[in-house]
Amino acid sequence: MTPTPAELSALMPLLIPALGACLLPIAALDRDQATVKWIRGSMFFIALLALAGGFLYLTRLWASGAQPTYGALRMDRLAQFGGIFVVVAASLAVLQLWDHLHQEGWVKGETLSLLLFSVVGMILFAATGNLLLLFLALELLSLPLYALTATVRMRARALEGGMKYFLTGAVASAFFLMGSVLLYGATGSLDITVIGARLGQAGPLDPIALAGAALLLLGFLFKMSVVPFHQWTPDVYEAAPHPIAGFMSVATKGVALLALLRVLAAGLPAVAPRLQSALAVLAVLTLILGNLAALAQVSVKRMLAYSSISHAGYLLLGLVAATPAAYAGMLYYLLAYLAMNMGAFGVLAAFGLVGDEVTFDHLRGLGWKRPGLGIAATLCMFSLAGLPPMAGFYGKYMIFKELILQGHIALAVLGVLASLVSVYYYLALPVALFLAKPTERQEREAAERPAVVAPLAGATVFICGFLVLVLGLMPGTIVDGFARSAAQETLQIHPPGW
Amino acid sequence: MITAWINSHLLTLLVFAPLLWGAALMPMEERQAPLVKLLGLLGSSGILAVAAIQLLRMQPDPAGQICAERFAWFTVVGIPVDYHLAVDGLNLWLVLLTTFLVPVTLLGTWNSLPRRAGTAVALFLMLETGMLGALVAQDLLVFYLFWEAMLLPMYFLIGMWGGDERQYAATKFVLFTLSGSLLWLVALLFLAGKAGSFAPEVMAQAVSRLPAGTADVLFLAFALAFAIKVPMFPLHTWLPDAHTQAPTGGSVLLAGVLLKLGSYGFLRFAVPMFPDAAVHFARLLAVLSVVAIVYGALVAMAQTDIKRLVAYSSVSHMGFVMLGIASMTVIGTQGAMLQMLNHGISTGALFLLVGMLYDRAHTRRIADFGGVALRMPIFTTFFVIVTLSSIGLPLTNGFVGEFLILNGTYGSGFPWGRVLACVGTLGVLLSAVYMLWMVKRVFWGPANAQEDSGTARLHADLDSREIAVMLPIVALIFWMGVHPQTFLASSEAQVGRMLSLAGAPAPAPPPRLAAEVRP
Repeated sequence: MTPTPAELSALMPLLIPALGACLLPIAALDRDQATVKWIRGSMFFIALLALAGGFLYLTRLWASGAQPTYGALRMDRLAQFGGIFVVVAASLAVLQLWDHLHQEGWVKGETLSLLLFSVVGMILFAATGNLLLLFLALELLSLPLYALTATVRMRARALEGGMKYFLTGAVASAFFLMGSVLLYGATGSLDITVIGARLGQAGPLDPIALAGAALLLLGFLFKMSVVPFHQWTPDVYEAAPHPIAGFMSVATKGVALLALLRVLAAGLPAVAPRLQSALAVLAVLTLILGNLAALAQVSVKRMLAYSSISHAGYLLLGLVAATPAAYAGMLYYLLAYLAMNMGAFGVLAAFGLVGDEVTFDHLRGLGWKRPGLGIAATLCMFSLAGLPPMAGFYGKYMIFKELILQGHIALAVLGVLASLVSVYYYLALPVALFLAKPTERQEREAAERPAVVAPLAGATVFICGFLVLVLGLMPGTIVDGFARSAAQETLQIHPPGW
Repeated sequence: MITAWINSHLLTLLVFAPLLWGAALMPMEERQAPLVKLLGLLGSSGILAVAAIQLLRMQPDPAGQICAERFAWFTVVGIPVDYHLAVDGLNLWLVLLTTFLVPVTLLGTWNSLPRRAGTAVALFLMLETGMLGALVAQDLLVFYLFWEAMLLPMYFLIGMWGGDERQYAATKFVLFTLSGSLLWLVALLFLAGKAGSFAPEVMAQAVSRLPAGTADVLFLAFALAFAIKVPMFPLHTWLPDAHTQAPTGGSVLLAGVLLKLGSYGFLRFAVPMFPDAAVHFARLLAVLSVVAIVYGALVAMAQTDIKRLVAYSSVSHMGFVMLGIASMTVIGTQGAMLQMLNHGISTGALFLLVGMLYDRAHTRRIADFGGVALRMPIFTTFFVIVTLSSIGLPLTNGFVGEFLILNGTYGSGFPWGRVLACVGTLGVLLSAVYMLWMVKRVFWGPANAQEDSGTARLHADLDSREIAVMLPIVALIFWMGVHPQTFLASSEAQVGRMLSLAGAPAPAPPPRLAAEVRP
């Protein structure tokens, strides 16, 4: 059965990165040659080409307004949003990896290939409501990430992080699968819309179905690193190369949220209200623990890991508010988060900091060496802290506003207090970059060798800083033109598949 | 054609010109520091000139508005945000004060920013954008954005050029201010949801439909954010740290403008939007203000550091401003308006003078000085004039403001008015005690005989640049003291309208103060 052109256009966003992923190992077949400049260049070129192809295809699809489907694969607005989101994050990560891997002394062909496979899995994850396909996508996105965490595999901590991620992730996947089984047993279908329709029909809710939905939810929450399923996050982020950590924090969390929106908010309207108070409790725990733990960190990446946990809390609050406007706000928040977090991780790569432990002391005074880079990173941190007029403010603004309108004022106050606490630890980065004096040893070392700056990674940080400002100055345009249509069209029009 | 364009976009131009100018200066190299300072000074002076000429030339319309700009900015899920800027009687002089203080600060601290002058000048200009934007914003979300945008340049000014404890002070400043403003944001969003708009007049209508208890809570959320900025007792503890650690220029603008935005927030938003709640909580505000007046003065008396003393005197003086607002009378509120300008000029000048002393002596401890008048007669003259204005000597600006405030409080219809006015008068006395005692110990008497004392390090009196900074300030001090009507006329009608809407108890004696105020 050959797919029709319309069906093919639903597949293409997956096929283009997949093709790149398959080509890359061939380019790097002779592993020792990977350090040769032109081979390295061609590897990155293929990866970027595949991502750019995917990006162009998805944006054209978006502009045309088409929402093709192929079996259980639904390339609708939400999926296209997710695809563009993931591809942009991956492109930024690839640009940041260019010099970073070289500085780590670990340029291997498979790194980029794994990254692209993970991208394919992520796009698929956001583009289907079929539980079996969702599981497939979950594994396809997770397995490469486990390996990518341990990219620099000569390092004990990298191996440890990868192993931890793999073991906990496998358990979460098992829960996800168990939840699918229970839902299938309760309703006789794997398609979330059919499940939702059947659960919505008859009187009291089947407890098996509720248990299934809760287990399913757990799988998503693990990927979003929501407390208490967050423990892997700091270790994994610290173990992974900075750009990979940034990519994981942004893209994995993002698509997990999109899939959660599709499955819970759109697919299971009968079950979602039953889980709302549980989600509220988890959001509160996540906000409190994420923010308080971040306060105590001296390692930049551990701080960013706890910060990414706390951002999962803000996003969950949007799910608690559960209005179309809140969903649109969450999607805007994701875009803002993409820019600011890729910038935050990217600046570590841009300053040429290698190794698994980067503390704030390593950054002392670096802002004055490269003021532009320092300012861009500072913008990203202020945005993460939710200070206006940066994009992060409007993300929180929209979610808090919907919470307040829905009467959850206590939750909004808690969210606001959490972001107040977060200002303290986000300021630590600009403080280190600009306010703190370098130690004598650092000054001596700096005099001996000039500050290493990775130009491409630096460029990505500039792009991120710029995006943070642009998204912040025109929030209305972004929300109306992009986030709202993705949220509304998908959540309202969701025809059952096979 | 260009003038027409400038006139129609005057406020946008005023607000964002400093930002753009600062951004252009920022990348200039370290060795071009003098040029950067000169360009910064010229730019901010040009902004002062444009503001003064254009704003004073324009005639207010019947509603009191002098100049306005308004268009729809963005709508996020149902609630429109208007880019609405306006200058009217309430903020005209504060805008001019801001544009005046920035070039004064740049000129006054010419030599005291040894490192990275370009960045410092750029930050001062960005701070000017934040302050002006917050002053002229009429839409509450726009006001909020500028309100928060002021924090960051000030954070870096304190954090980069401050004293030894600068990181602590800068972080404390940001966290204190944010803790108020974030809770206020929740109230703002709640109200915006009820009103469907961020325009204060629409929100005020929504408030009138809310139950009194809800309106009270919302008012308290607004008041908390503004009270932290003022700062009102007991939320003032960030202020002495921020002032002591901040570089001179940062202190001048912090005291001169940033604190005013707190009391301005009360006048512009909190009182008109929540008239009933404002009357309800007037006693609380007044009591806290009087506590701040007396407590600030007593603590100032005990200080050993001149700058810290001036910082606590700020707490006391801003207590007067808040007392005037809490009196809910036209006279008291007018006095508060004037006292805001007074404090901006007098305390700004005191910080500048302390900075000049510190540049020479590298110490601010009172005990390190003594007999400074012998070494620096010109400096002493200026310092004593500013001191007397800060105390509130008749013919200087301080007298008029404090007199109007105490008069308004005494004559207000509230039962507590007379008592609190009497206690507040004690503050005038105390301010004379701590200021004059400090002047006595620093300036009079024999020169401090210790070898390494501060006095021994004073080799030069004020140079022509420093005199040029102080002269316009002294001129303003006397102008405001002799002819305060210049600064009061524009706001009188507007304040009257605002208070008549608030329905505060009628003042006991007829408010016929005009004969005394108008010479």
